[in-house]
Amino acid sequence: MRPILELTAVTRAYGPRLALDDVSLALEPGELTFLVGPSGAGKTTLLKLINREIRPTAGEIWVDGIPAHSLKASRVSQLRRHVGVVFQDFKLLPRLTAEENVALALQVGDLRISDDEASERAMDALEAVGLGDRGASFPHQLSGGQQQRVAVARAVVSQPRLLIADEPTGNLDLETSWQMMDLFADIATFGTAVLIATHNVEIVTRLQRRVMTLVQGRLVRDQPAGRTGRMAWLASS
Amino acid sequence: MAGVVVKAHFPRRRIVQIVAANVFRYLFRGAARNWLRNIGSTAPALSSMTLLLLLSGVVGLVGFALHNLEQAQAAQASLLHVYMRDGVPSTDVDVLWDRLSKDPRVASITYTTKAEALARAQRIPGLPQLAAASEGNPFPASLDVRVKTIDDAAAIDSLVRTDIAVDPLDPTSYDRGAYQRIQAVLFGLAVAGSVFLMLLGFVAVTVTMNSIRAAIHSRRDEVTIMQLVGAPRWMVRGPFVVEGAITGALSGAAAGLITFGLAMAGMANGPASFTQFAPGITVTVAAIAAAIVFATGLGLGSGSSMISVRRHLES
Repeated sequence: MRPILELTAVTRAYGPRLALDDVSLALEPGELTFLVGPSGAGKTTLLKLINREIRPTAGEIWVDGIPAHSLKASRVSQLRRHVGVVFQDFKLLPRLTAEENVALALQVGDLRISDDEASERAMDALEAVGLGDRGASFPHQLSGGQQQRVAVARAVVSQPRLLIADEPTGNLDLETSWQMMDLFADIATFGTAVLIATHNVEIVTRLQRRVMTLVQGRLVRDQPAGRTGRMAWLASS
Repeated sequence: MAGVVVKAHFPRRRIVQIVAANVFRYLFRGAARNWLRNIGSTAPALSSMTLLLLLSGVVGLVGFALHNLEQAQAAQASLLHVYMRDGVPSTDVDVLWDRLSKDPRVASITYTTKAEALARAQRIPGLPQLAAASEGNPFPASLDVRVKTIDDAAAIDSLVRTDIAVDPLDPTSYDRGAYQRIQAVLFGLAVAGSVFLMLLGFVAVTVTMNSIRAAIHSRRDEVTIMQLVGAPRWMVRGPFVVEGAITGALSGAAAGLITFGLAMAGMANGPASFTQFAPGITVTVAAIAAAIVFATGLGLGSGSSMISVRRHLES
């Protein structure tokens, strides 16, 4: 099976400092993977490289067959339609309702989608994340957990092959965090590769999924699902 | 029974409608809504651009009038009135006519009688009073000689001034250097006007660029989110350009209407003097000037916001 995401010898430097150093990895469809590591290990940098918010200093990044490392700025939007992104701070447009936020992601990616279709699909996505009754609510009328669910619905509504999440439970309580993880697991079941950067050790150890550990920009461990042991990076954090 | 493949009609027209509606919404409706929402920060750009475009329109109309004036002066300067001595015999006039008509520098000659000279003078402001104050007809008959180039006027003047048929006291209408002086003044005005317009343009572009820059900064989060959910570049940048175009178009429309109104008011209040001091300014010309002012506003608004977006909105 061809990997959805493939990084080969990726290095990213900020001036003299190496944020990522010679990182290689691959993600298969339907795989839920955690990316862990102490603060400053390079997790966010890695996610930004995948979403082509930044370019690598060296190496190659292939996302669903698209070369993110050499992509022109004018074509970045094409890549982003293949990648759903969930942020710690949700990044919802405050002037749009939950349904409109989700529908927006659909229509900016494909202008041929009518309002009715976008609305219907957005409501389906909100239903899937348990917010079918909150489509008309604005972000400020929702709790943090609900806003994060809207963000997840927005990320998956266009059925991307890859979903990346940067500390998605960072602003959520433990119970809501578990609900979010169940949601990500469900998404992966449908064939989407999910990569979650997190600090939440409890979740990572209990879910027993694949875990990649970054320390000082280097990928120091890649533990397959079901064999998640002690978090090596804890010692250095 | 053999199956039948039914091909559904591809609803291309419907898709075109949907795409057009989405483009309109994300590009124009969104821009109009944001423009209205940011009216407070846009107001300075709107008012200053209106003022600058209005000044540009007025300067443009004045420039056009001066250009026409210059053309009229050039035509006037190439026409040399050779004044005939009172009571000159017609044979002397004929001899002079013959001499001039054989001269290759002369384009045409016409003879103006004293009566025709009086009639002509009465059409020139100020001269009817002079005619009324004089006994009889003070205006001489003349040979009106049109030279092929203005530079030949001096030579023709020298040629005729000692002729027996010509009035020795006031031989010709030739005024050495008059046309050159007018040209120098008009050239100076044109240069000053151009510099003024360039300055106005620079100020207008800068003000609009700053207002778009402020709009970009105030909506930075929104822009980032749009980019992160995969909005194409035109969808992120376009609304800002449209906002600039709206500012420019509204400024241009207001300035164009005022320019047109001023020209119309001038024509209505003093048609005779307006035609004399602003030759060539007609309703059509005023309307064209208003249209140019509008188009300039639209262009300046769109162009300057495009520059601002390129500078301040990273991909």
